[in-house]
Amino acid sequence: MMEDCWGRAKAELRKAVGENNFAHWIEPLDFKGVDEGVARFGVPTTFMGDWVSRNFGDSILQHLNASGAPAGRLAFAVAPRAAVAAPTTARERAEPVRAASDDQDLPGAPLDPRFTFDSFVVGKPNELAHAAARRVGEGGEVTFNPLFLYGGVGLGKTHLMHAIAHELQARQPHLRVVYLSAEQFMYRFIQALRERQMMDFKQLFRSVDVLMVDDVQFIAGKESTQEEFFHTFNALVDQNKQIIISADRAPGEIKELEERIKSRLQCGLVVDLHPTDYELRLGILQQKVQQYRRQYPDLVIADGVLEFLAHRISNNVRVLEGALMRLFAFASLVGREITMDLAQDCLADILRASDRKVTIEEIQRKVSEHYNIRLSDILGPKRVRTIARPRQVAMYLAKQLTSRSLPEIGRRFGGRDHTTVMHGVRRIEELKTIDNQIAEDVELLRRALEA
Amino acid sequence: MAEQLTFDLPARAATGRGDFFVSPANAVAVATVEAWRDWPLGRLALTGPAGAGKTHLAHVWAAQAGARIVAARALAAADGAALAAAPVAVEDADRIAMDDAAERALFHLVNRMGETRQPLLLTGTEAPARWGIALPDLASRLEAMPVAAIGGPDDALLAAVLVKQFSDRQIAVAPDVIRYLVDRMPRSFAAARQVVDRLDRAALREGRAITRRLAARLLDNGDAEGE
Repeated sequence: MMEDCWGRAKAELRKAVGENNFAHWIEPLDFKGVDEGVARFGVPTTFMGDWVSRNFGDSILQHLNASGAPAGRLAFAVAPRAAVAAPTTARERAEPVRAASDDQDLPGAPLDPRFTFDSFVVGKPNELAHAAARRVGEGGEVTFNPLFLYGGVGLGKTHLMHAIAHELQARQPHLRVVYLSAEQFMYRFIQALRERQMMDFKQLFRSVDVLMVDDVQFIAGKESTQEEFFHTFNALVDQNKQIIISADRAPGEIKELEERIKSRLQCGLVVDLHPTDYELRLGILQQKVQQYRRQYPDLVIADGVLEFLAHRISNNVRVLEGALMRLFAFASLVGREITMDLAQDCLADILRASDRKVTIEEIQRKVSEHYNIRLSDILGPKRVRTIARPRQVAMYLAKQLTSRSLPEIGRRFGGRDHTTVMHGVRRIEELKTIDNQIAEDVELLRRALEA
Repeated sequence: MAEQLTFDLPARAATGRGDFFVSPANAVAVATVEAWRDWPLGRLALTGPAGAGKTHLAHVWAAQAGARIVAARALAAADGAALAAAPVAVEDADRIAMDDAAERALFHLVNRMGETRQPLLLTGTEAPARWGIALPDLASRLEAMPVAAIGGPDDALLAAVLVKQFSDRQIAVAPDVIRYLVDRMPRSFAAARQVVDRLDRAALREGRAITRRLAARLLDNGDAEGE
């Protein structure tokens, strides 16, 4: 009865919050019922409970009430091992079979709800792989077996595989779709060997309708795992079951992989994901920004930042997306607009090969250039303001940017006492708060020195 | 008379949240760690120079999140599947660069925790992009992580670190000694550790209290002036 209410509420919520949010946040909720006006849910993590409560709490209550479940409040509790958007039919059997393994009736890893075809940005470098994945995702007649996707790190192989699984599952819910990494395949194989359950292992893997193995290069050099993989592979191909494999390089180029496996992997469709071009990277960033807008509605991103990132982070989409995510998280924490300066500071580790150690000499040189005075004047005894102020700026920067002691800094400034350095530093700290020009100078110099 | 022998007994560090001093130099990092429920993808790299308090902060977080703490070097021998079932802090993750077995173990742990959606905290001296990780799939995952960086110490933090280091060794030191040291010592966490260690030894050896005079003599010997 209550289950039905939740079912109806879910259908309404799907429309209200959108497919993406629904799959990510609502679908995984484990509805426990309503008692005394409190609707109770099991969630996989406390974070998820907090998030759902904060962002969708009102909608959930509204739709629950509308479907006949009188609830005034939501309560979330972390449920032990609730599968998150499990791709398999695992839901019907929730009891944990063996501790510490996700042993349910199918051996797959959970799918990431964010990895759908909708969220995959298509461009020249990946359009062939995308088209092939779409074709396989439609199901029906198995035309190429296996589909072999390869490409460098972070170009979207895993994303496409998850998207295929989501699509197949949506179109044909009865299909037994299993996605797992080659490492997990090996782990299960070894476990089966150890526990003398090889028959179960074989039956399990040979009873699936679609098998996806990610990063197959990880079984290279693992002889008995390869052997078992080969047999599983052949058995499924014989039954006309779809197989999808990914690797970081073409089958022929995986070292320590048996020849017979290489040739098997090549007999379907082999497509590669090329490194991204600028337009594709910009497209990916723009799509991500739209997603983040929902999560961080107040954040402002300045013109040119996305173009800058797409231009500078060219090797890897994962790093590119990570960079944008880091920017949003940081900007939201400190409550600032995402500007070029913020991007350069926040992402210094990716944008620059190393943080250079700034020396006192460099600081003195830069400061004298900036104020158009002679280096010897900074080091010398003159006390006129036009010289003394830049000298204090240089001392302030030396304290901020190096780990030198104050007596040491004093020595480098023409043998001055550490109390003189302390005085100079304090002076600049005061001036920064009342004199915008000084504050700007210091900031400009700091950037120039750290760049 | 023979000199008093001193033994290098490790001091027991206080690692509670109440013992952690927040200053502008580490405030953003502390806030980021404490907002662990909001870490994008449930991951965070906590970075900072030696002695900056990474381990301390990792312990604080572990207590809050109910996390296990593992040394990165021990990962290859650990049961990754069991670890991934709960929050984990991996310490000194930068030290396993080029160690193939350990890198693979970390790679699988990162993936597994992505699946179990448990939060993962890594610590290292620099940001992950600079760790020199050899396994490309791991390197790209780590580079994509958000980073909370503890910078070099400001005066307040340097003073707090000195006080904490002394008190971890059961030594009470007058405020003027701390002030004296902060104004004159190299401005790094590592230097703070060294200075406290050397003062402790000198005081023990000579059987006297740690005073400004002792501090002055030590700093004047010049060798506290490291990079």
